[in-house]
Formats: sequence, structure tokens, C-alpha cells
Amino acid sequence: MDKRQVVLKLSDITMQFGGVVAVDNLNLQVHKNEIVGLIGPNGAGKTTAFNCITGVYEPTNGSIEINGDVVIENYPKGKMKDAYKGHNQGKYTRSLTMLPDKVTKLGVARTFQNIRLFKGMTVLENVMVAMHMNQTESVFAATFRTKKARATEEAMREEALELLREVDLLENKDDLSTSLPYGKQRHLEIARALATHPSILLLDEPAAGMNPQESDDLMRFIGRIRDQFDLSILMIEHHMQVVMGICEHIYVLNYGGQIADGTPEEIQANPAVIEAYLGGDE
Amino acid sequence: MGLLHTWFPYILAGIAVGGQYALIAIGYTMVYGILRLINFAHGDVFMWSGLIMVYLVTVLPLWLSVILVILFAILLGTTIERVAYRPLRTAPRMSIMISAIGVSYLLQNFALYITGGLTKTYPAISWLQKTVTIGSATTKMVTLITPVLTLVLVFLLVMLIKHTKIGMAMRAVSRDFETSSLMGIDINRVITVTFVIGCGLAAVGSILYFSNYTGINPMSGAMPGLKAFVAAVFGGIGSVPGAVLGAFVIGICENLIKGAGWTTFSDAFTFVLLIVILMVKPTGLFGEKNLDKV
Amino acid sequence: MNKNTKVALSTICIILFMAFVYFGDMWIRPGSSMKMLITVIEKGSIYALVAVSMNLLNGFTGLFSLGQAGFMLIGAYTYAIFTIPAASHDSVYQYFNGGVIKWSIVEILEGKLGIVGHYLGMFIPILLAGLVVALIGFLIGIPVLRLKSDYLAIATLGFAEIIRAFFQWNTLGPVTNGSNVLRKYTTYKNAIFPVLVAGISIAILLLLINSTYGRAFRAIRDDEIAAEAMGVNLFRHKEMSFVISSFFAGISGALLAMFQTTISATPFTTVMTYEILLIVVIGGIGSVTGSILGAFLFTAASEWWLRGLDSGRWLGISSDLMRPGFRKVVFAILIMLIVLFYSRGIMGDKEFSWEGFIAWWKRLPETIRTWPKRRKAARAAKKDARDAKSAARAREKQGKQESADKKLSGEALFTPLPMADHVIVFDKEGK
Repeated sequence: MDKRQVVLKLSDITMQFGGVVAVDNLNLQVHKNEIVGLIGPNGAGKTTAFNCITGVYEPTNGSIEINGDVVIENYPKGKMKDAYKGHNQGKYTRSLTMLPDKVTKLGVARTFQNIRLFKGMTVLENVMVAMHMNQTESVFAATFRTKKARATEEAMREEALELLREVDLLENKDDLSTSLPYGKQRHLEIARALATHPSILLLDEPAAGMNPQESDDLMRFIGRIRDQFDLSILMIEHHMQVVMGICEHIYVLNYGGQIADGTPEEIQANPAVIEAYLGGDE
Repeated sequence: MGLLHTWFPYILAGIAVGGQYALIAIGYTMVYGILRLINFAHGDVFMWSGLIMVYLVTVLPLWLSVILVILFAILLGTTIERVAYRPLRTAPRMSIMISAIGVSYLLQNFALYITGGLTKTYPAISWLQKTVTIGSATTKMVTLITPVLTLVLVFLLVMLIKHTKIGMAMRAVSRDFETSSLMGIDINRVITVTFVIGCGLAAVGSILYFSNYTGINPMSGAMPGLKAFVAAVFGGIGSVPGAVLGAFVIGICENLIKGAGWTTFSDAFTFVLLIVILMVKPTGLFGEKNLDKV
Repeated sequence: MNKNTKVALSTICIILFMAFVYFGDMWIRPGSSMKMLITVIEKGSIYALVAVSMNLLNGFTGLFSLGQAGFMLIGAYTYAIFTIPAASHDSVYQYFNGGVIKWSIVEILEGKLGIVGHYLGMFIPILLAGLVVALIGFLIGIPVLRLKSDYLAIATLGFAEIIRAFFQWNTLGPVTNGSNVLRKYTTYKNAIFPVLVAGISIAILLLLINSTYGRAFRAIRDDEIAAEAMGVNLFRHKEMSFVISSFFAGISGALLAMFQTTISATPFTTVMTYEILLIVVIGGIGSVTGSILGAFLFTAASEWWLRGLDSGRWLGISSDLMRPGFRKVVFAILIMLIVLFYSRGIMGDKEFSWEGFIAWWKRLPETIRTWPKRRKAARAAKKDARDAKSAARAREKQGKQESADKKLSGEALFTPLPMADHVIVFDKEGK
């Protein structure tokens, strides 16, 4: 067993929309400095799981621990009490919710499957927005440019430029974020997430739309930022080359349910996974 | 019994006004259901229908004027859609709303120019103005006709939406605009029909409304328009029966408030209701919840 | 152009402008067109302030709010109520026994501090107007800012109407004078006053927009979900933007009260909010300088340039069509044209810069010279697009026919569309 500290733990997470169970009883752990993959065919509920972790959705049942503290927990109540189709009903009795910005403040940053950059802002501004939550100036100080506020702003700019240098976007700093080519937009999203000073990074299909060469670069890049920023990473990915290349542990979802988990080698040999991906015999 | 005796006339008036609001509200709720647009100009189409009636009656027989007014409202509404909304259909949501506000501003200013800012007197339709007495209340015929006519028209509309091909297309488009267009539904036709129905009913509403409140000026459409919109939100925007129910609730409450001597706040009440419903149940009574996709 | 030159250039322009307004208002006799220009600047600057405050919400925070007129109303009343001289109370509040507030901040401070007190006595009620509106904005914001785009618009519109009804309520008459006008309150003597107050306020708003908070606002505008994921507390920042916008709308309301010298709740309708919104649109949603330009153009057009349209003679043309109200119709049509064909407004989401201005100025002759050419090209492009569209429609129709024929066979998906040149026509004999 892995001896490292568990930084993110999902227990029995179930997400039901109306009558559809999008995520069914997901149990997942991410250890410190680990890179974990979450794979599965389209519609398997991977992004929904991300949305539960980051507070965008309130899970129907189950609990989520971040750095050892339970921060999100819920159980089927109200109308859902009777409509609930998942497992472990009655196991949880608390209802803890957390807004996405609070989750981010706890050190969980994310990127999005369909890139969500701030369209009307420059590359540099995109990164600086993510630093806003860590600055302590009041709105008055920031507006009237007190000496301290100017220093804070300057420090933010320096750090943002440093991050852009890391992701090789320094020469694009004054371009409009949407004018960047696709691959660079993905890099910018990662830089923006890093700017929130996360300890856990959630990447939603970072290699989507990339060619093998770019995927290779991305793989090395993810490994590098993990070491450099002391991160634990959970990533959704379809490129098997990437997933098998860098993930230490992989969870496989299908139709919301968890069908397998293990090391890349174990997953590659798992018949259930092969069936989910290639379809069983008719 | 005594209490009912005092309040009965107000309730009666409320039901009548509610019916008139309902006829306007249907236009809002249907357009919103399909285009996700608050058609700010709808109240002004209503006002213009009233204004045109004033001018038509001076030269034409009444029955012809009524028909022409309804046709005029339909023409105006579809023209607005064609000129001001259709070109912006792919533009950000805020642009099309601004366009609607611009059209409203134009229609009001044009009415101001035509009327010279004076309040016109709506032609008396003698049959609607006839006095009738029910129990403790003496009222005009229009008060009794309105709810009946409204319910008949709404019934016909609901039948249309439920049982005809175009009705099915409307439901499909309001459910999912893009998929419907991919499925071969002629979106433009559906939208045009929506405006035809909405504006036609608003014109009928204007005849009833202005037979009741006979003064008409360029601003006459703004307040009933906003109230009808609130009715649509109250009932759950996109839902025709919801809008009708909302309109009756607003009409009755408003008149009860007037009866209680709080006339200044009878208009404000509508907005209090709006804010309360948006806080408590943002989707309205019969509305459906939409989840944002992340 | 280096930074110092630009700063110097801007400073000189501002000083010249201020001097023109100050001395112009003092020396130019009423009735001349120069005086008209100064009145336009005076009123335009008040509208510029409220337009920028609305732009902070609509253009920079992405909140479609339509409550601006209501906020201005509160600001106007707050200022007026506290500055009506004690001696005038009986005549102003004649239906309410002279009202309940029997003193004026201006008079109290003037008595203690002289001329300094007089100006202080004007500034304090203006500030108070802003603070009162900010407080009310704060309270209104708590419920409404949880609503999405168009629901927010209609809820703020609703609150503005409630405010208007409230201020006309006779029970509050001893304070608000019910549905009667407030008048005789202290006002400024020179047009420089509103220009200065509005100018300083807009400068503060500009500083805010360019600060880290402004960036957070714009992030919310661009993508709420991403902003939240980046740790921006949506509600806190929306509320902040709403309160600040309300504060400055209140100040512009106070200035408007001073400009008009009498105030009543009647004109603060939705139409007024629409006009402010249209100013923002003309200038460009998301541009502060755009809103300022828009406000001056709007005021100049409606108060000055198009005046002739109402009186039968304009630019030497006279027509029977030109009677009162025609100006507003032309104006509304112009606005619709801007909304439909020039929806980015004058400035788009850019701000004024000297470089941009100089480049534009240099390009100007070229732009004018090539205008007919570009127009022709645009027309041709439009025609092409139309042709393509009708061709597509024809194809689609044909396609529909085809698919209707094949509906039952179920093979429509797999059969390629027949192409005209591959159809072989046999004649009667079947050769």
C-alpha cells in the first residue's frame, strides 16, 4: 500500500440528476505528489466527479475529504430520498457544502475540458485574476493605489510573469487570451490554475486535441510542474499514451460506476476495462 | 357576507384586469420560451394596437377596425422580430435585449410624435360598455367578457400547442433550440408563428383593456407590459397556463390593494411579487429548472 | 510617444477644457450656441457619470442591471431634502406643514465656517446621497444578485419602480413632499462644479476598473464558472460592484437635482434607465471613455443638434413632418441603427489612448477617400452572402424533397446526394 499521505479522498460519491445517476458510488484517493488518472468512455461521469470535488455540483450522497478534513458531505434528502437509486443510503447524515471559490482557497485548482479562459482579457491578466484571492488589499487601498497596494500589484505581476515563463507564454503576455493557438490556451489554463497556489491540481482532458508530439511534451510538462510546485494531480484523459505514461494509479469509470482501479499495467490487463472501451461481444 | 359585499367589486375588477394582463403575458412567455428574450417591446405593441384603434374607428366601421387592429399588431410584431431580433440571433444575449429596449424606445417616441403627447380617448364599444349589475357590484360588460374570452382563447392556444404539428415544433424549439433546427424544424417559421400568436392576443387584450381604462397615451403600454411580464415569470416563464394564472393573481391582488386604499403601491406590488417569487422559486410556479453545463 | 509627453498632453487638455467651461459659463451670454455647448457639457458630464457607473455593472461585471434611474432618484432626493434653506420649507412643503426637516446642511455649515462651509455644505449632502444609495444598493443586491442575466434585469427594473412609488407616497410627504416637486434647494453657480465632481468620480471608477478588483469583475463578466474556480467569490464581488455603481449613480442623481433646480419622482422612469443604457451602448459596452463620449453625444444630439427637428427647420430643410417629437423619433431610429449595425459602439471595449487617436487621425483622410470603395466591397460581399444563402436554401429544399422520398426506405443516411451531371437522361425510345 501507498504510505504517502492521502490529500484527496472521495468516499461513496454519488451524483444523481433527476432519475439519471451520473456518478455512482465513486471511491477514489489521491496521495501526496501522486499523479492519478481518471478514465472512461464519454459520458462515464468523469467531469461530473470533478464538478462534485470543486463544489460546482452538490453530490447526492457521499463525502469528500481534502487534506484530511471532510469538507463536502451529503445524503439524499427531500424528493431525492425516494428517488435515490445509488448505494449507501443512510450511511451519511451530514450535509456540508462548499462553494467553488472556497474549494479553490483550500488548494484545489482545476482546468476545464472545454477551455474556459477569460476571453476579454490578456494572457497576463488571466493569470493575475487567479492571484486575486490571495491578495489582502481592501478595495479602497487597491483603488487609491496606496503604497502597499502598489507593491502587492507589482509582486502579483512579477509572479504572473514568472509563471508565464514556466509555461513558455512570456512573449504572448499582452495578447488576448483567445487569440492564442489551442495548445497554448491549454497551457495558459494550467498556468492560471497554478497561480492560485494549489496543492492539488485537477486537469480535465489536458491533452485533448493534441498530436502525439504535443502529448509527449505535455506529459513531461505535467511531471515537471508536479515536482516544481509540489503538487498532487488528478487528471481526466482520453489519450492512453499520456495516461499510461505518467499516472501512477488509474481509476476507470463506465456509466457512472467504478469498474476498475490499479496501476497502469493492471488496468491494461483488466478485461472489464477492455470491454468498456472496445465493447463486449455481441 | 359584509366583507365579501365590500370586496366583491374589487375582485371582479381584478379578474377582468387579470384576463387582460393574461392576454399580454402569453406573448412574453411564448417568446421567452423560444428565444430566451424578454421582449421589452411587447408592451409597446399592445399600446400601439390601442392607438391604431383610436385612429381607425374614425374612418372605418367597428368590426373592420377590430380585425385590422389585430392584423396590425401581428404585422408590427413580426416586423420587429424580422428587423431587430433575427439579425442578432447569434449575438450575445445582452445585445438582443438591448435591441428590444431600443425598439421599445423607438415605438414610444414614435407614438409621442404621432399623438403629440396627448392622452387620446379610446373609442367606446357600446356593447362592451353596457352596465350590468351582479349582486353588490355594478360593472361594465367588458369586466364579464374578459375572463371568459381569455379562458376560451387560452384553451384554444393550449390545444394548438398540444395537438398540432406547429405546436409540437414550438415545444421542441423551446426545449432545445439547436437540436430542433438540426432535426429539420424551420426555426424561423416557429418564431414567426410565436410572434403572430403573441401579438394577436396582445391586440385582443388591448381592445378589452382600453375599453376599461379609456385613456391612452404613449406610456400606456409600459406598465401593463411589465406587469404581464411579471405574471409570466410568476407562472414559470415558458408556460402558458402559468402566465395566465400569474396574470389573474396580479390583477386581483392589485385591485384588492387599491380597495384597501394603497393605490400608490398597486403598481409596486407587482414588483414585490416578482422579487419574492424570484427569491423563493426562481423558476416560477410551473417552470423547469435548467442546469448550466460545465 | 513616451509616458511623460502623454501625461503632459492629457493634463493640458483637461486644464484647457476646465478653463473653457469655467470662464465660458461666467462670460458667455445666454442664447448663443457657445452657451448651448456649455449646457451640453454640464448635463453631459452628469450623464457620463451615471453611464460609467452603469457600465461598471453591464460592461465590466456582466450584470445586466436596469435600476439606475431609481438610484439616481434616491440620490437626487437625498441631496435636495438636506439643502432646502430653512426659510423656504414652508413654501416648498406647503401641503405638509413645512415638512419635518427644518434645517439645511449648507446653512448650518455656512453659519459656522463661512464660504468654506458653504461648499462643504454642498459636498457633504452629495456624499450623503452616494452613501444612502450605496446602502440601498447593498440591501437590494443581497437578494437580486443571486439571479441570472435577464431575471436580474427585470428585478432591478422592478426595484426602481418600487422606489419611485415609495417617493411619491403621501404618507412620506413630510420628508419627500409626496408627489409634489422639491425646489429652492442650494445649487451650484458655475458649470465647472458638476464637471469637476463627475470628473473626479469617473477617475476613481477608472482606477477601480484597472485595479485587481476590476480584473476580478471582468473575470466574472467573461466566465462566472471559471472566475469562481479561480477563487473569486462571486457574490462578494458582484455585491461590491453593485454597491460602488449605486454610490456613483447616487452622486450623479444629486448633480442632476442641482442641474435641474427642481426635482420630482415622475421623470425617473424606466425610459430614463433605457436612455442611460443606450448611452452606454453608443459609447461601447466595456469602455469608460466610450460612455463619456456617448453621454456627450447623446446630450448634444437630443438637446442641441436635433432641436431644429422639433421646430420645423433643421439644417436649412423645413418640412411639415418636423413638429414636436420628431427629434426623438429620428434619434431613436439612429440609436436602433447603431444597435443593429454598429453594435460595438464608438469605442468597442477599448479605451482612449493618444497613440490610438493619432493613428486614427492619420488614417482619417485615407478612410474618407476609400469610403466609397469599401462601401462597394461591403455591398458586393453582402450580395455574395445573399446569393450563397439562397443557393443553400435551394439545395436544402432539394435535399428535403429527396429525403422525403426516401423516408420509408431508411437508406437516406447512406445514399450520397445525386449530382446533376451524373443523371443520365434517356429519350423516349430508350437509347
